[in-house]
Amino acid sequence: MNEPDDVRSTARPTAQPTALLQQARPVVADSTGRREMIAMTVVVLALIAAMEVASWFVPDYIMPSPVIVARALGDLLMGDKSHIGITLLRLAAAVSFSMAAGILVGLAMGTFASIRPYLRSLIIIDTGIPALSWMLVAVFWFKDPEARIFFILTVILLPFYALNVYDGMRALPKDSVDMIESFRPSRMQVLRFLVVPHIVPYVFLTTRSVIGYAIRMAIFAELVASAVGVGSRMSLAQSTFHIDQVLAWTFFLVVLNTLFQSAVALLEKRLLRWRPEASVR
Amino acid sequence: MSTVPALPLIELKSVSKSFGEQVVVDAISLEVRRGEIVALLGRTGAGKSTVMNMLMGTLGCDSGSVRVAGVDPFREFRALKGKLAVSFQTDRLLPWRTALDNAALGLQILGRSRTDARRIAREWLVRVKLEGAEDKYVHELSGGMRQRVSLARALAVDPEIVLLDESFSQLDHVTSKALRADFSRLVRQVGKTCVFVTHRIDDALEMADRILVLAAPARVAFEEAIPEDKRRDIAHLAQVHARIARAMGGEEDA
Repeated sequence: MNEPDDVRSTARPTAQPTALLQQARPVVADSTGRREMIAMTVVVLALIAAMEVASWFVPDYIMPSPVIVARALGDLLMGDKSHIGITLLRLAAAVSFSMAAGILVGLAMGTFASIRPYLRSLIIIDTGIPALSWMLVAVFWFKDPEARIFFILTVILLPFYALNVYDGMRALPKDSVDMIESFRPSRMQVLRFLVVPHIVPYVFLTTRSVIGYAIRMAIFAELVASAVGVGSRMSLAQSTFHIDQVLAWTFFLVVLNTLFQSAVALLEKRLLRWRPEASVR
Repeated sequence: MSTVPALPLIELKSVSKSFGEQVVVDAISLEVRRGEIVALLGRTGAGKSTVMNMLMGTLGCDSGSVRVAGVDPFREFRALKGKLAVSFQTDRLLPWRTALDNAALGLQILGRSRTDARRIAREWLVRVKLEGAEDKYVHELSGGMRQRVSLARALAVDPEIVLLDESFSQLDHVTSKALRADFSRLVRQVGKTCVFVTHRIDDALEMADRILVLAAPARVAFEEAIPEDKRRDIAHLAQVHARIARAMGGEEDA
């Protein structure tokens, strides 16, 4: 019970992680939500108006009118479904794997004191490597474009999950650890009944933080390392001077990100319904 | 014909513990017999919590021996699985579990199926007067209700020994009194052995069969048994109260 890598040795007595997460989690009252929705609509309409006005004064290959972009978007959604599907599949596979592997690495860092410094050093070095370096290296290392993109997204996303899960473990309330230890559980029982449920909010927090980044990196990786997918189609549109298609894809990606964020937020609200709603006046 | 006294279920023999230069527990010896409810009473800093931590097995002693249900709770930590349960000063409920699932936690750790654990936990929630609150999350419960869930969680595993570490001290007077009465009734009903730490003389008088006053560094400075027939004798209890207060060196801590 006194082994150095005991779960208790990672406990930080004063931390109140759920309270911290509650602070980090914006709790938006109905009226505030409505106000933000109105503001978003106003900003989108203003941008469309600005595009329209700009299109009057410059050629279409610099700034096409919103109508042309909308038409291009319609064509892309009808004609490039397979590219959209491939990008979504690549994202799903890479985010799921990074999440699972990142959680395991984070748990290992929190549980085994002996390997913690090595894993931590590895992750810190990884986070210091520019995404572009990984992309170029992946082109050399892997022949298969799917392997390239999967590798690129994994090495970029995994450290976020690992570090946040490790932080979650460090913030385990010592009181809860002592309480569960009083029943003399096995290490697996401590993980199952205390650690894993405790880190779920951290996994959600990480997913919400990385989802936009993951989309951007997936598009970038497709642009560099693949001939199919939304990124490669954007590259094709750029090389054939179809700025309407570039803007249409951009609009699509912004909407996709918003949809993903909302889906994660909904899932979070459902799965973490045990957290009290708090609002700051 | 002579009667052989029952072997003590908890036994501390000349136990000492220091943190650096500071002696916190000084050669304390005490015994608790099966079915007894013993109060460890003392001012803040008297070493009560250190003694409690040694009984729980989360702290080893420097010298002497600690035996709980026949084993050293520190060195043979896992040997007490299912035999010992603790109720802490704060409820320590897991916020992602409902009241029912919190009460079932210890049973699940003992290897009971979730259905079985929940069935037993439900019975205990009824016993601690929390019928109807089974599906509430922690933030939906009052302080008193949370502490009741914590007691249900401890008692549901059917332990031989229950340790209470100032479990009622953070509650208001009325809630605390009601909870003490319910706890004493339940523990006596099921015949558990109980050691509880408190700094309030009233808690000790109301619940304990025997009161041990600890003086810093933890050693037994005073001991008084409360016979069953004197438990409701106000005059007797007042005299004991006065003796304990003197042993504690004046008024108890607030």
